[in-house]
Amino acid sequence: MDVGQEIIFLLGGVPLTLSISIISFLIGIAIGLPLAFTRVYEKEVSFIVDAYEKIFRGVPEIVLMLMFFFGLGLYFPFPFNNAFFVAAFVLGLRSGANQSQIYRGAIRGVGDEQMIAGQSVGFSKWRAIWHIMMPQVFTFSTPGLGSEYALLIKDSSYVWVIGGLAEIMTRSVWLKNVPPYDVITPYVFAAILYIALTFPVAFWLDRWGNKRKKNIGL
Amino acid sequence: MTDIVMEAKNVYKNYGKTEVVKNVSLQIRKGDIKLVFGPSGSGKSTFLRCMAMLTMPDKGEIYLGEECLTKPGVDLNKARARIGFVFQHIYLFRHLTAFGNVELALRQVLKLPKEQARERTLAALKEVKVFDCINKYPAQMSGGQAQRVGIARALARNPDIILLDEPTSALDPELTGEVIDTLRDLANEGTTMLIVSHEMPFAREVAEEMIFYDEGTILETGTPEHFFNAPDSDRAKKFMTRIIYKTTRE
Repeated sequence: MDVGQEIIFLLGGVPLTLSISIISFLIGIAIGLPLAFTRVYEKEVSFIVDAYEKIFRGVPEIVLMLMFFFGLGLYFPFPFNNAFFVAAFVLGLRSGANQSQIYRGAIRGVGDEQMIAGQSVGFSKWRAIWHIMMPQVFTFSTPGLGSEYALLIKDSSYVWVIGGLAEIMTRSVWLKNVPPYDVITPYVFAAILYIALTFPVAFWLDRWGNKRKKNIGL
Repeated sequence: MTDIVMEAKNVYKNYGKTEVVKNVSLQIRKGDIKLVFGPSGSGKSTFLRCMAMLTMPDKGEIYLGEECLTKPGVDLNKARARIGFVFQHIYLFRHLTAFGNVELALRQVLKLPKEQARERTLAALKEVKVFDCINKYPAQMSGGQAQRVGIARALARNPDIILLDEPTSALDPELTGEVIDTLRDLANEGTTMLIVSHEMPFAREVAEEMIFYDEGTILETGTPEHFFNAPDSDRAKKFMTRIIYKTTRE
């Protein structure tokens, strides 16, 4: 395989890397937002959120993936024998824990007075969260969310350990094993690809957030 | 049928061991304009928030019309939708324009159809004379404009009463004038208001009753003339002297 073919082969892994990362990012939003608001506004059950965050931030993704795929997969082949599902699910669970912390900081940044103002016009706590807090929390969270997205792109490479998914990392490992057995080039190109996939989005999110913050005077 | 719009009966509120509101009772009838004044930190704002149930009283009863808001099981969100609240530090929704700030509760709380909510929003913004700010975000407005949007937000729902917590204290004298003009218009239209304020000339002009509030309780009530000429308590006398001196110097 020449260098051109290697690059094309690696590029073939981009859609899978992106889909794992984007789906896990969305799972992270779906988990992180309710966790963050529960932690701030439902003090009685905040210990559950705390425990969740500690577990999923504390255990390495690689351990979780192996545990879910080989462990749970043994007893529940559906859906845990599906590498794509396990990858997106595990990264999503971890991202939920991270995003919960990002949103919690943002909620504090938005300030309790916005919540009180919402309640003063007749909103319940959770409806004020939806209509008033949430849009502002997203704006406040953009730098953190940019970093989280970059982290997910990078961490999607762990999926290589469970095998079966031809994303960028898995493909670079394959390339190393085919003639001429080049152990440098595939990894260098993989590294360049990861950078190309992370920074533009993180940069754009950060810029969008700053612009929006400036507009609304935050 | 009674014309009492809002009533507080023996309301108490403590923060830790500090008694912030002590046995306060107050009645507001339709069309009343009552002005609460007193030293900073005496608990006026907490009392006002208790009236709107934004802060829960520890003891006592709050009535909105004939409904007791302090009774368990009362739908407080529904009750708050009938009360307009204007904050000292304005607290507009920062992600929404002036229009959005006023319209949001009309659409999402009162569930008005889009067109009706739009009409009411425009009318409220016109009434407080901030029509030119309609597409501006709070950060793009002056303090006076923002506070008038805050008043429009409270007004647009046609509340039974408007509670105003020092609506001018965060503004410079010029902007204060803009807000006072708006409040004067509302007073002339017969809007029921309970205002925490130190704007004495305004109080003299529009308030039917002034309430001197000190150390968490109502110390003295009376007409503006009563307070300007001869308040009963020494505390009120001293406070009035200081505040009139300050006002004349300004």
